[in-house]
Amino acid sequence: MKNTKLLIAGVFLTVALPFGAILLSSQAQLGELGRASVGEGEPLFPSRVPGLAVQGRDVYISVGCIACHTQQVRPAGQGSDIARGYGARPSVARDYVLQPQVLLGDRRLGPDLANYGARAKDLSSVHVSIKHKGEFAFLYSGDAERANALAAYLLSLRQDYSSPEAKLKK
Amino acid sequence: MNDSNRHPDNNRPRRAPSGAGSDGLSDGRLVEVHSQLAREKEEPAAGFSLTPIFVVFLFCGFGFWAGLYLTRNSGNFAPSAFDLDAPKLPAGGEVFVFEPSAEKGQVLFNANCAACHQPTGLGVAGMFPPLAGSPWVAGNEDRMLKVILAGMVGEIEVKGAKYNNPAGMLAIGAGLKDGQIAHIATYVRQAWGNNAEPVMDTKVAEVRKAIAGHKAPYSPPELLKEHPLGTK
Amino acid sequence: MTQDNRSGRPQGRPPESDSRLSRVEAQLRGPFLLFFVSAVVWLLVASILGLISALQLQGFGGLLNGEAFTFGHVSAAQHNLFIYGWAFNAFFAINLWLTSQLGRFELRNAWLVTLGALVWNVTLTYGVLSIFAGDLNPFSLLEMPRGVGPVLALAFVLAAFWPIVAYARRPTGQSFASQWFIVGASFVFPLTYLLAQLLLLWNPASGVVQAIVHSWFIQNLLLLWVGGSALAAIYYFLPKVLGRNITGYYLATVAFWTFFLFAGWTGSASLLGSPIPLWVQSVGVVGSAMLLIPVIITALNFHGTLSADGGWSRAWNSTTLRFVCFGAVAFTLSGLINALFSFRGYNAVVRFTSFGVGQEQLLTYAFASMVIFGAAYFILPRLTGALWPSAKLVHLHFWATALAVLGSVSASLVVGWQSGNQLAGASGLASANVLFAILFLVGHVAFALNAFGMILKSTAPAAEGRHD
Repeated sequence: MKNTKLLIAGVFLTVALPFGAILLSSQAQLGELGRASVGEGEPLFPSRVPGLAVQGRDVYISVGCIACHTQQVRPAGQGSDIARGYGARPSVARDYVLQPQVLLGDRRLGPDLANYGARAKDLSSVHVSIKHKGEFAFLYSGDAERANALAAYLLSLRQDYSSPEAKLKK
Repeated sequence: MNDSNRHPDNNRPRRAPSGAGSDGLSDGRLVEVHSQLAREKEEPAAGFSLTPIFVVFLFCGFGFWAGLYLTRNSGNFAPSAFDLDAPKLPAGGEVFVFEPSAEKGQVLFNANCAACHQPTGLGVAGMFPPLAGSPWVAGNEDRMLKVILAGMVGEIEVKGAKYNNPAGMLAIGAGLKDGQIAHIATYVRQAWGNNAEPVMDTKVAEVRKAIAGHKAPYSPPELLKEHPLGTK
Repeated sequence: MTQDNRSGRPQGRPPESDSRLSRVEAQLRGPFLLFFVSAVVWLLVASILGLISALQLQGFGGLLNGEAFTFGHVSAAQHNLFIYGWAFNAFFAINLWLTSQLGRFELRNAWLVTLGALVWNVTLTYGVLSIFAGDLNPFSLLEMPRGVGPVLALAFVLAAFWPIVAYARRPTGQSFASQWFIVGASFVFPLTYLLAQLLLLWNPASGVVQAIVHSWFIQNLLLLWVGGSALAAIYYFLPKVLGRNITGYYLATVAFWTFFLFAGWTGSASLLGSPIPLWVQSVGVVGSAMLLIPVIITALNFHGTLSADGGWSRAWNSTTLRFVCFGAVAFTLSGLINALFSFRGYNAVVRFTSFGVGQEQLLTYAFASMVIFGAAYFILPRLTGALWPSAKLVHLHFWATALAVLGSVSASLVVGWQSGNQLAGASGLASANVLFAILFLVGHVAFALNAFGMILKSTAPAAEGRHD
């Protein structure tokens, strides 16, 4: 405790240890993860999203949707996400490999959106949901460009395919 | 102005005597006294002498528990393990379905059984009974599985001919996996003109468990009593 | 300087009875007040934003509608201002004062600190305005545009590097727990902040590794910087005001090292069930449980010190200690709740609900902010040479904030637990939260009125002190 350098070195070590053991090693484990198919000749998942959906993701971030919506389905043994109908299978790391910024979220004031595209009825119901009783009507100003992009993004959110780590039950 | 005037507590009556006033310990004194306390590791207040031992035990307990918890809940540190309950169901939550395969069974049969029963399944006269067309391998699969798993010694009659090999049949299945035995049994029951149902690995496991206490090889009469020929 | 050595005698006489500020205090008076005033201003803004977001959750969002004031923007701005505006500025000030006092450190380059304070607060203003403009990142407490990060880190070093210098240059070889915690906290924050910025915004890690990096950063920020600084203040004010030694002080070393050692591992406990590898989740659970060791030791230290010889009633009758002890109890409680609810069974129920909000409020408000208030009641009169203008406002401040935080935290926890148990999905907070937001605001206004009134009255002795 008397030696300042030792104190600093010790504190540095306490930062470096979890950084190396958790952050760097999980990056080493998951950094190379890419799209995959469950079998020979099957399609690769997750699918690439259309350009409009990419713009919609920017709208999602910029409006601050993440304050109320998560995008992750926990396994059946860890919470009631699957029982609530948020998804048919738990989310796995591979589902997010194409996302430049992962929008897992940590608070659910609204429903989880990881599988929104799979359970949305049609485009008009998506727009009803986006408006939230009028609070987000500003997205429809002009030619509703941002609302359309956001709808395309929401429809692109699906985890209803089998992944090598989490297969859908037949 | 007295220093104590600047203290918020002047807004209320002071209760403590001046000796234990709000500024009872000067900064220099505070550091000095506590540095000394840290060095001497002495605790003047009675009743706390057990504290160091308590802390050491706490440390050990936590360390032990941490190791235990990590080994049990870490999915072998695999990057593909996300669900704590998943390892019980192989292949990511889907129930693994065993499919008995006569092709795989043939390979296994030729490696493990064909030396006596011959690749043709016809056996050797007087010594090793045939399997082709044998009622012993058709019908109830328990009979042949018991022979494979525990072996058989004694004279046996198949299709009117008697066979007796002094050494009997070895408990060859004891060293094979349930799935392998199921493949072999399926092959035997479906090759050379035989036409019986395939055998599942779960059935093999069931029989293996049921005869766990049966150390000695079976004798043909004993088996026939348990599973008469021609019954299902 | 000699003044203090003089008072190193039995604790019988009130020391430091000089009306003029000591040289040490005179040097840092300017920067301290700058930080402190900024902190209180941000606290007021954050409380107003908190009230707005509470109203929005109750469906009164129509009052303030439109693009800039989405709930996402308001809550993000409130969160950032509360942490980076209020807690950071306040701890810049308190840490500087504490280490200067304990190490007899004279701040010669006060202009650098002032520069740091200005850069910090101007950058923060820009960052928060960017959030309202819709230019934000989807990571909580890293929402401000990425250009802000390096500038804030630089300002942090200018503003908060001095405790390390003070520690290195302290005249005697002796040191005190408060100094370790402050040195550690001042060192850890810029390091983790820059690493998190790098791995999330400049050169994003792949996929869900981002979530792991983010949870790691949040725990370092909340536990080590905010929590560590507040622990330092408790370790100082308990013996200082009570005039007695810390009970079981030799354990403080263990508390310090285990606190820093385990805090960095606790992050992924907030990701149980998320699509991150199982072992990362389990390491977080273990880290959270191990953090009980420093929590138990600090509880022995603090509550042991307070329990002896009527300490609690004396603490209750001292404004400073009333707040500080509130914080000390809240820290123990927070550590226990965090450890318990990092276990899978409990976490599965409360995750994604308001429970997490309650946990964070317990740590950053009931613990850290209450300690800041207590420290302010002690330090400000010394630096300004004035009295607190109104005892009634002090009372109002304590009761408003104490009741608000008790109510708000317990409502968040209870509602979180309930809504997690219902299959119907997470609901909003109880409507009582609007009431708590108003109560917070009342308490903060009372505090601000009192503090600003005192600072305005104080110009004369300050000038005297500065030309010392």
